[in-house]
Amino acid sequence: MELLDRYLQAAKKHLPRARQQDILAELRANLEAQLEDKESALGRPLTQGEAEDWLRQLGSPMLVAARYQPQQSLIGPAIFPMYWFVLRTALLWALAIYTAVSTILIVLGQSAAPAVPLAILRAPWVLFTVAASVTLVFAALEFLSTHYPALSPPVLQQITQWSPATLPPLEKDPPSSPRPRSFALAVAELVFGFLFLVWLLLIPQYPYLLFGPGAEYLRNSPFQLAPVLLLFYVWVIALNVVQLLWRGIDLARGAWQRPQPLQHIVYKAFGLIPLVVLLRAPSQVLILLRNPDLDAARYAANLHTLNDGIHMALLVVFAIVVLQLLWDLGKWIFEARRNPPAAA
Amino acid sequence: MTAPNQIDNLFENLRLELRRGCLTLATLAQLRQEHYGYTLRKALADLGLAIDESTLYPLLRRLETQGLLASQWREEDKRNKRFYRLSPLGEQILAQLLEEWQSLNASIHRILGQSE
Repeated sequence: MELLDRYLQAAKKHLPRARQQDILAELRANLEAQLEDKESALGRPLTQGEAEDWLRQLGSPMLVAARYQPQQSLIGPAIFPMYWFVLRTALLWALAIYTAVSTILIVLGQSAAPAVPLAILRAPWVLFTVAASVTLVFAALEFLSTHYPALSPPVLQQITQWSPATLPPLEKDPPSSPRPRSFALAVAELVFGFLFLVWLLLIPQYPYLLFGPGAEYLRNSPFQLAPVLLLFYVWVIALNVVQLLWRGIDLARGAWQRPQPLQHIVYKAFGLIPLVVLLRAPSQVLILLRNPDLDAARYAANLHTLNDGIHMALLVVFAIVVLQLLWDLGKWIFEARRNPPAAA
Repeated sequence: MTAPNQIDNLFENLRLELRRGCLTLATLAQLRQEHYGYTLRKALADLGLAIDESTLYPLLRRLETQGLLASQWREEDKRNKRFYRLSPLGEQILAQLLEEWQSLNASIHRILGQSE
């Protein structure tokens, strides 16, 4: 029967190469016997339509042949939990690092507008590459552990040969709801926040409040702060005012007992603005010479090194704050999903 | 609320899971007598256990690779066929599996009896 021959020919391509002929001969013998039975029951050969229905019922040649393959899954159930854990962790870290690096590059670049959508468009490809790499590694491990168990890495053997003695010690359970803040603490925070703001506001008029005796030296030194620091100062003041207002409103509403984690995250996110202001300072200069014509020859080289050093330090701080922010955000989302607010 | 087709899918998955081990047991038990693939399938179907070709034939190969079945090519009705039968190891494993099966069956009956 030509249709059966074509079916077996199609199945052959997907059979394990080592036993291809043997399996095919057996499959042919079984199917031909079945066909004979069908035809003797009918008393005539199958029509084209009946033969097609019969073969359709057997399943596609590829599917039938695939059942003879020793390995049916790319990553088997034994290592899948580990694969899933590593994949999620790798994707999370990749996203965090990519975001931090992209943010730094955007901050350093002068034309941020096209850079932002480009970075967003590139993100899926970065994540896909990470996921593909992790999957490839685990598929190779699966192949090793299936075909050459002796060669499989010790970490995979540990999954099945674990000992209760190696279990990590009990973690301290975080309290189901954090201890409420006392009214006194909330008031103290407001008062000290206000005093801190006053202190900040007085600094331009009384620099010794910040620099101490060094203020006098600064006034007579050949150096001065770049104008961009004024903008930085304004942002710091603005953020402190916002935080103070927020605390005041919480106190007035009687909501001081349980500060919202989102509030903390938003405040931290806005806290990045003054850092961005410093990082985008023209020519990355934060300290200038008071009289460049007089002092350039003597101090220019050192000043350049100093400004570069400050810029690098700010970059590191910025990256750390971005990572902290992402961590807090991830934690908040995780907690929100784990403990969804009760329906009203 | 679970939709009717979701219930059907759920039942189908659980049914396949339940059948998987039973099919191996039934195949081993039936191969106490020699069969080739097609007659084995017919014999099991006649006894009320229908198995797809695409499940049974690869299963025979797997059981043979595991040493539970022995096979040989032989001509019958002018056609070469691969005949399978239980190997000595297969007999030993079958006895253990049957014991386990009976124990499970008895437990299920006890559990069902308890809840009535």
